[in-house]
Amino acid sequence: MAYTITSLLQKSYKEAQGKTVVQVLLVLAGLPVHLVIYFIYLIRKKDQSRDTVLKDIALELSKEQLSDQWHADYVDQLSRKRTFFQENVSDKELHEVAEKLVEERKKEEITRRTVDYFNQNGIQRTTYSVYFQSLLERRHFLLCTLLPGVLMYAILLLISNPFLTYIAERLIQSVLVIVGVAILVFTILYISPFDPASNILGESATQEQIAAFNQLHGLDLPYWQQLLNALKGIATFDLGSSFAGNEDVATSIANKFPVTLTIALFSVIMAVVIAIPVGILSATRPNSFLDYSFMFIALIGLSIPNFWQGLIFILNFSIKLNWLPATYSPSNHLSMIMPIVVLGTALTASIARMMRSSLLEIIHEDYIITARAKGLSKSQMLWKHAVGNAMIPVITVIGLLFGGMLGGAAVTEKVFNIRGIGSYIVDKQFIPDIPAIMGGVVYIAITISLVNLLIDILYAFLDPRIRSKINQS
Amino acid sequence: MKDSSNNRHALVISKDYPQANFTWILSLALAALFWWNSFPTKTDELNPFVFALFCAYMLTSIFQLFITRKMKKDLLNTGGIHKTTRRLGYFQLASLLTGNIFAAAFAFNLINKRKTPEYTFAVYTLLTQLAVIAISSVNLFKPYVSDTFLIAMASLLVIALFHLVALILTVHYVREYTAPRWMSILAVVLMATAVTGNLFALLLGWSLFMKSRRFDSSRLLKWNVMWEKITRNSTAVLGMFFILLMLTISITSRFTFDYALAVENNYSAILQAPSIVYPFGTDNFGRDVFSRIVFGARISLLVGFASTILPGLIGGFLGAIAGYYSNRIDNWIMRLLDILYSIPGILLAIAIIAAFGANTVNLIIALSVGGIPTYARTMRANVLMVSNYDFVDSAKALGASDFSILFKQVVPNSLAPMIVKSTLTIGGAVIATSSLSYLGLGVEPHIPEWGNILKVGSTYLESNSYLAIFPGLAIILLVLSFNFLGDGLRDALDPKLD
Repeated sequence: MAYTITSLLQKSYKEAQGKTVVQVLLVLAGLPVHLVIYFIYLIRKKDQSRDTVLKDIALELSKEQLSDQWHADYVDQLSRKRTFFQENVSDKELHEVAEKLVEERKKEEITRRTVDYFNQNGIQRTTYSVYFQSLLERRHFLLCTLLPGVLMYAILLLISNPFLTYIAERLIQSVLVIVGVAILVFTILYISPFDPASNILGESATQEQIAAFNQLHGLDLPYWQQLLNALKGIATFDLGSSFAGNEDVATSIANKFPVTLTIALFSVIMAVVIAIPVGILSATRPNSFLDYSFMFIALIGLSIPNFWQGLIFILNFSIKLNWLPATYSPSNHLSMIMPIVVLGTALTASIARMMRSSLLEIIHEDYIITARAKGLSKSQMLWKHAVGNAMIPVITVIGLLFGGMLGGAAVTEKVFNIRGIGSYIVDKQFIPDIPAIMGGVVYIAITISLVNLLIDILYAFLDPRIRSKINQS
Repeated sequence: MKDSSNNRHALVISKDYPQANFTWILSLALAALFWWNSFPTKTDELNPFVFALFCAYMLTSIFQLFITRKMKKDLLNTGGIHKTTRRLGYFQLASLLTGNIFAAAFAFNLINKRKTPEYTFAVYTLLTQLAVIAISSVNLFKPYVSDTFLIAMASLLVIALFHLVALILTVHYVREYTAPRWMSILAVVLMATAVTGNLFALLLGWSLFMKSRRFDSSRLLKWNVMWEKITRNSTAVLGMFFILLMLTISITSRFTFDYALAVENNYSAILQAPSIVYPFGTDNFGRDVFSRIVFGARISLLVGFASTILPGLIGGFLGAIAGYYSNRIDNWIMRLLDILYSIPGILLAIAIIAAFGANTVNLIIALSVGGIPTYARTMRANVLMVSNYDFVDSAKALGASDFSILFKQVVPNSLAPMIVKSTLTIGGAVIATSSLSYLGLGVEPHIPEWGNILKVGSTYLESNSYLAIFPGLAIILLVLSFNFLGDGLRDALDPKLD
């Protein structure tokens, strides 16, 4: 067991040598180990066989009396150069220059011969990385350095497996994007020409009151300080208190997020349950009346603005027919139906269209013809070979559209009077309440990134094409 | 046996037959809608005007069904449509009087067997002009009209007559690749009439100009093939028709509609139900909703186009550079755009508007910023594909610089997917505009914009629901048109389908 681990570590360390970023990361992660080992390496390098070989070669070189010959050549060249350019250089200077050139050439010759010698005898030139590799082979070295070098070993294990590497890369990318989103949103709100202090305190506020307000919320700090505070706040779920009402922003967001997420989740479920069968039905009967009607309805679903659909639903189902309550209340489950349908309509339409075109494309692939040729029935072909493959791009689209849905939730929430995160952001934007807007937008972006990350990682396991691509790279 | 299977095939590939089906179904659906609305819920009286519309549409639909049956019989028996069946189209043209554009468009299609793109353009030029005149003439019932109304209407009528003449001349003289030389004068005048916003006239004019001036035949072939593909899709052409109708209306409304009716309060006519004077009723300030919707088209189109073209240019430029130059530049640009991509468009727009205030310019900027990454991705993917083609290599061999290769060879050849993409996203921009206005974050509340009108309507949902219904229908129709056109363009321009 220990043997396999050491060889694994050694192999991934060897592979890492080509990649600068990974190398730097490894050195940084195992800094204490590397410092000690490098020190030992420097000491041990002295009495390595390499030194003796070097001495031997230098001796050999002096025996051949090449340096006198080189010296004569250089003097000849330099004196020609002097006469050609009519330079004013004395003989003594000329000899000095020649001497220098000879020394340089000597060194080059020695290193060249050493490399030749080592190559001929099949000896590897000892560098630090080779030395470290040889150490990694030993089990007791690993045990000794496990504690200080645990980070480095974790990275080594990580890069030894392409899947883990892919996941780690994807994770780092998401974190960077989220940080970028936070910086972007903060900067947009920072350069806003509006002044929250005078908006909240009113026209009659004195200079002192405004200054006190700015100091309370840290608005008098320089840009970098504020940005750092905001980033820290997002990472620690502590965004301070909102400008108006003095409520804790993180708590209010945490209170409002579940409603939005529940409705969005149900909408996705509704969309998938309706759209996938519709897409399959349409694709298996292309250009039929059924296909045309479904796609026409889907296009209408894509073209309806959420708020108008909501209003028409309220008008018909609440006011005229009195079936469903017009506004959302947490205790009444019936009041969830209309928001879910409204929010999910566009998603349903997109998924149905996507499923249809994806399945149509797959049905015309060669391997489907092969499946038919080997005698599979149409339904076997469809369910065993086509639908699963057609789902791959559809699931990606679901992940991407989920983001748009969370963003568009603000409008639906306003129509049905739901106190979700979307309507929270809209309510806060008039001041503008920087921590509240920033928190709302960034946490939604984080949710979306996480969903997409999850889908991507799932793919890495499920889709054989992505799997092979990862393994190759 | 073989013959009948051939004819069955003729039925399948016929362009007219699906359109015939589409037309009667749609007419029937509209008739059902009018039937539903001819009995208002509060009073049990019959609304005579709506009921008359129902009868007219029902008749059209039945007649259309009859034509469709006859077409099917013709196609199955002879493999072609009989002359007498085509004659029936002249009767169906009468449906134009009831405003049934679908039936009229079908009738025009049916009458002429040999359809050049010019014929389609000419038909839709005329239809657009007639529709604009019909919509503008609603003002005749108003207590007063704008000062320029009479002159504007007269010139619209003259232009419509001219378009009719152009249609007849096109039928008689234009062949697939040629047109008489004197038609180039007609073409120039037609292009000039496009200043009303009726871009079908521009298309017709340009097409006639190319043919009458004997342009290079390969160019004509390309033009013909492209437009044949687009016009084969009847929903795409109808979408284009509605978009251009909206464009024409928003230009001509400056002269034919009175802006005062749409924005000035009139307390003697508050919250009136739809009538002949106020076709869509009046709102809580006595403003005419119909005029407001007409003027709102201008804003929706402006914001829709601006917030598509702007990110299209910026995103296209970034995407082109990312796709063509080194990996390092590519990585930097795309990773930075990933940040923008991960914030939902509406949320980013809300954040930007929160920071800079709600007005039309900020709205356009806010919507544009969110659109940049999508266009950059589309452009990058195309540039990556196109820059592997041989003509790029030969341009390199001729010593062209990277920059000129990118923008003279690669980018023009990767524009088609960008055009499709932008057509499909204009609809989204129109929805986003009205959604943000509805939230109070878009266009200023005093400007007649569809979202603003709906916002007022939503407070009177119980008592005056028409205030919320009509602007919503306008939004849906415009967005649906953009989506139909986008789908049609994708089918026509997508090289994968060739």
